Amino acid sequence: MGRRRSSNTDTTTTTSSMGGGGGMGGGGGGMGGGACYVYPGAPATPGLVNADVTFNLGIDMNIPLTMDDGTTINMWGFSGSGGGMGGMGGAGTFPSPAMRVTEGDIVHTNLSVNMMMMHTIHHHGIEPAHTSDGVGHITWDVANGTYTYQWRPAHAGTYFYHCHTNTVLHAEMGMYGALIVDPPEGAGTLFSGGPDYDVEAFWVVDEIDSSWHTLPWTAGTCGGDVGLNELNPDYFVITGVDGSGNSAMNAPPISATVQRGQKLLARYICAGYHPQKIRFGGLTGKIYASDGRPLPKPVSVTEIRAASAERYDIIFEPAQTGTYLIETDIIHWVSGDVLGTTRASITVV
Amino acid sequence: MKKSMDRRTFLKFSSAGIASALVTSTGLLSWNPRAEAATINQTFYITEGFITQPDGVDVYFRGFSPGRNNLTVPGAQMIVQEGDTVRVTIVNTLGTSHSFKIDGIIDSGRIRGGESKTIEFQVNRAGTYMYYDARNAPYNRLSGLHGGFAVMPNGSSNKVYAGSPTFVQQYFWLFHDIDPVWHNTIRNGNTPNTRYSPRYFTMNGLSARPPGAPGAMDPNTDSMADPRSALHGHVGDRTLVRVLNAGLCQQSVHTHGNHMEWLTDNGQVRDDVWSKDCIYLEGNMGKFDAIYPFESPPDAWPPVTTGIYPMHLHTEMSQTAGGGLYMFGALTDIHFE
Ligand SMILES: [Cu+2]
Ligand SMILES: [Cu+2]
Repeated sequence: MGRRRSSNTDTTTTTSSMGGGGGMGGGGGGMGGGACYVYPGAPATPGLVNADVTFNLGIDMNIPLTMDDGTTINMWGFSGSGGGMGGMGGAGTFPSPAMRVTEGDIVHTNLSVNMMMMHTIHHHGIEPAHTSDGVGHITWDVANGTYTYQWRPAHAGTYFYHCHTNTVLHAEMGMYGALIVDPPEGAGTLFSGGPDYDVEAFWVVDEIDSSWHTLPWTAGTCGGDVGLNELNPDYFVITGVDGSGNSAMNAPPISATVQRGQKLLARYICAGYHPQKIRFGGLTGKIYASDGRPLPKPVSVTEIRAASAERYDIIFEPAQTGTYLIETDIIHWVSGDVLGTTRASITVV
Repeated sequence: MKKSMDRRTFLKFSSAGIASALVTSTGLLSWNPRAEAATINQTFYITEGFITQPDGVDVYFRGFSPGRNNLTVPGAQMIVQEGDTVRVTIVNTLGTSHSFKIDGIIDSGRIRGGESKTIEFQVNRAGTYMYYDARNAPYNRLSGLHGGFAVMPNGSSNKVYAGSPTFVQQYFWLFHDIDPVWHNTIRNGNTPNTRYSPRYFTMNGLSARPPGAPGAMDPNTDSMADPRSALHGHVGDRTLVRVLNAGLCQQSVHTHGNHMEWLTDNGQVRDDVWSKDCIYLEGNMGKFDAIYPFESPPDAWPPVTTGIYPMHLHTEMSQTAGGGLYMFGALTDIHFE
């Protein structure tokens, strides 16, 4: 069924829309162009039906991100106006465009990739058929065509999507975006039967090791030491903005302004690889959900420790006016040292 | 240098030789509770040798092995039940001192080079544990002297602790990270003083090999094909994973296909069971228990009951070997059959 069953005698990708998927299968070995252990394909999606919502995404490997110190770092990402066989649609952004869907929608994510490279989309926390899971070694890395990931979210909550080809590099390069599943009640309710909210903030905290940002998309796949076991970040971002200084302060939807009596929902995504600790500047929040699932009992917290790709949905109902600093430490996975900190704010008026 | 090489006949093991010794160890998938407590006998030989890593580099390890002439990293998985008496004999074939410890249960104390020691202890508290060499911490443990140890609740075949959610099968996922410079320093009898830089990442002693790679699909080489690591189940086959971290890296354990029911954290039963797709695994002997429920993947359209999904660490540096080779790190596959 999956690639794992048929690594040597490929039978899974012969329906490639480009007509060549089958012959390119089998993975392994030198693929030419220095890519190894990639599994190119873009077959027809099994069980394809009409979608309620469609996202067309292309690839942009040249997204400049200017940091507070004036340095520009090259990011990779998904562009929101892809589609078509070229997959070289509009300009990408960092992070990639957010997807927002409603529980029960049938969703199509159409990823277009040109013949020069391979990527996938994995909707992290969404659990579809493996043919729509976007994991190259089990199915295929999208190459030279368009592949449709079909899924139907069953649980409202906070997710994200990211590339799963040479993932260690591609996700670090910025190939991710937020993915929000609203309940049938719509935005303003976290999940059916759960809390409502008036204002929303997005805290997507990530670290960047600029020394990785000149590597090719195939880096390390054929062997050789390209340093991907060592992530030594020198920049720290929150929702696409340099978080080390004041750039994210008072900048919605990262920072939020709420009135006393209003409810703020913060969707916190640990988008980096190193662990993080987020502190709420003296505010107490209530975690209602994590990883797209309601907690059996909400938990009141003043800080949260998070591991890579965890998500927490936190509701604040601040009673006192003032500005509260939301600080996230990025913590080295071995030493425990704080490598950097991002800053955002909640202003209560 | 020559002298030490002559004194010790270093054994070089392909990873195949290692795991085959393990696969025959205590059967885990079919635990039959006993009405009576038993005495469990286990002998470990502390041995050393080299294990070839995915990039071809031979790295020095020590292990709790089943015989003098082999090397097993990690040591055999052990599973016992509350009330059992466990009698462990350690035969130290090396010239260095070692120990056998399970936190909160037993500490053998020093076992000098060339000596043997038998320790006997009763297990009274159900849970997931690591046995390890606590001497020269953490270096002896990092060198490979560790293994998984589980205590089942008295008379239970399907619970982690009395009153826990139930499962039908159980696995250990014992993660490790390896800095070959440290291992070589340990081999030479010195204390590492370089910054720890892990280059290899394993689960139950093996790294993954993606399809098409040498050793792929070989259960003695590829963690994705290792029956101790890869989950196999039908819908409804709720599966306990006992997750342990022998290494120093903090990890994020991430499953595709289903969220995990997060039951315990570092030996403590959690107040509530959270449903998580990523769980924080502390470095330096962190542990948790979780059930992978094998429910139909909830977001599939049309619905499916079969498929293959990965379990990987989301701390993605751990998915590499030797600084590259994505997918040659600590990951496995989950098969909905
Ligand atoms: Cu990619
Ligand atoms: Cu992910």
